[in-house]
Amino acid sequence: MTDELSGNSFGGDVVVNTKRWGLKAIRNPFVLAVSLIQPLVFLVLFLTVFGNVAGTAVNGTIPGIGYETFLLPAIVMQVALASAVSSGVGLVNDIETGMFEKILASPMRPSAMLLGKILADFVRIVVQIAVVVVIGFLLGAQIETGVLGILGVVGVGVVFSGWYLAFSNALAVLTEDQESTTLVANLLQLPLLFLSSSFLPIKALPEWIQPVALVNPVTYGVDVARSIILGRNVVSNLPLANSPLEAFFVLLTVDFLFAVAGIFLLLITTRSDVQ
Amino acid sequence: MGQQKRIDGVPTDSAIDVRGLRVTYADGTTAVDDIDMTVREGEFFGFLGPNGAGKTTTIKVLATLLTPSDGEVRVNGFNIRTDGRDVRKSIGYMAQETSVDPELTVEENVRFACEMYGVSRDERDRRVLTLLSLVDLADVADKPADKLSGGMQKRLDAAMALVHEPPVVFLDEPTTGLDPEARDRLWDYFRRINDQGTTIVLTTQYLEEADKLCDRLVLVQDGSVIIKGSPNDLKGRVGEEILDVELTGDEGARRRAAEIARDLGPFNSNAIEETDNGISVTGNSVREHGTTLLVALDEAGISVVGFDVREPTLDDVFLTVTGEGLT
Repeated sequence: MTDELSGNSFGGDVVVNTKRWGLKAIRNPFVLAVSLIQPLVFLVLFLTVFGNVAGTAVNGTIPGIGYETFLLPAIVMQVALASAVSSGVGLVNDIETGMFEKILASPMRPSAMLLGKILADFVRIVVQIAVVVVIGFLLGAQIETGVLGILGVVGVGVVFSGWYLAFSNALAVLTEDQESTTLVANLLQLPLLFLSSSFLPIKALPEWIQPVALVNPVTYGVDVARSIILGRNVVSNLPLANSPLEAFFVLLTVDFLFAVAGIFLLLITTRSDVQ
Repeated sequence: MGQQKRIDGVPTDSAIDVRGLRVTYADGTTAVDDIDMTVREGEFFGFLGPNGAGKTTTIKVLATLLTPSDGEVRVNGFNIRTDGRDVRKSIGYMAQETSVDPELTVEENVRFACEMYGVSRDERDRRVLTLLSLVDLADVADKPADKLSGGMQKRLDAAMALVHEPPVVFLDEPTTGLDPEARDRLWDYFRRINDQGTTIVLTTQYLEEADKLCDRLVLVQDGSVIIKGSPNDLKGRVGEEILDVELTGDEGARRRAAEIARDLGPFNSNAIEETDNGISVTGNSVREHGTTLLVALDEAGISVVGFDVREPTLDDVFLTVTGEGLT
């Protein structure tokens, strides 16, 4: 008898892997907590240290909002990035324990395995972003669009995380090493955040940074999330998007490109390295 | 499966058929060089050799984890190049390193394996219970896998390789690093599944293990098969008996002792080897002429501190064929 969720169908393989990685996340809440700590520290420190100074620059671009409101979407994207890094580390663990090879020697499709894992990561990221949004709200961030706005920000955070999840998992398959995966993925995290509209409006950034910020996916994610919580278009004057919807499609495109590259890499590195 | 397996349209009872297998890694290292072998259905087949001989590489090819550089390989009638997924559905694979999910419990690991291989929901409970009791892990079913001993983890790994009751199972050095008791339990387990009709391909560097378990085996060295046959056939090729003589003295004494043995006549000069602490004489009349040799050594002033007449082991086979011991 064919069982739809048995692992024989592509969908079944995805569900089985989502379940397994979900179970592992529940068993190891430490990972969930650790990737929340740095963004929360950033939220508190940035508000305390730069709140007054940055507030002026922010009001020059988006009048009428406090720095808490401006910063919250950036911290959401930071959580998404940090959480995506731990996804790659999880895959390296699987390679080290031999589970990855065990799955490759089974009829499961490697792409379904990766997709199932990423879906489980999405669930984890939803929980983490929800925690950050609540804390941001308690610290004074204004969410003009209410519950729908919160749901929207969580959704954008999840979509934004897609490309970095693919990137960190690709790093895992390439390096098969926890330290290298963590190091590279973490190393890129801060430049990605600082070279974007996360902490200051693009106009307030040094001139040499502005061209980078205009094509940085973080800018697109942050600007969409900001527009959602404010209920109006505050997307920077970007070369690839002028509205939240256009910026959102840019994010989806980046996700798609990284996912295709990641799956391609997975397929070529897992079957053979013979002549 | 159901239907008769065919290779090139011809019905066959072979579970595995390998012709001209060659694997050269990207760095130019040739790990497997022109291996031919056939494993019959229901056989316990041994794949023996020292580290680096090409055993694991060959098993990885058979399990579709590596695409060979050259050669034709069929597993359960399926071509590994074109029918990879069918091959994977029809095999169980236990890697050299223990592969279990440390964060899941014992039962969750086996359940995941059931899902991995598409065991139907109706069957899962029965399979999990049967397998956990077969590998003696039923009483620790709720324990996280990382809390188990090495031997228990290996047994869990073996159970996970068998959830779908595959006709062929690959065991890559399954007892490496285990204590004798844990090893015995795994051997017993492998024998039981083989008795139930499962074809088993075992790679090992423990010749005693292969001798006890395997119906047939091949010895490989530097990526090539150097000898094949049943353990008894192979040991018979060495000779019926071996006389080990332990000597005092240095390398010179051992060399002189070997020369004396060769000059005695009854022994085949090719079957006289210098060992670490004496000499070893292999032949069919060793017991009969052994005392003559001991007397000759004594008369030559070479001090004998011990001797033993024994049957040949697979290690002797390997020594005879390659000129060096495996263990």
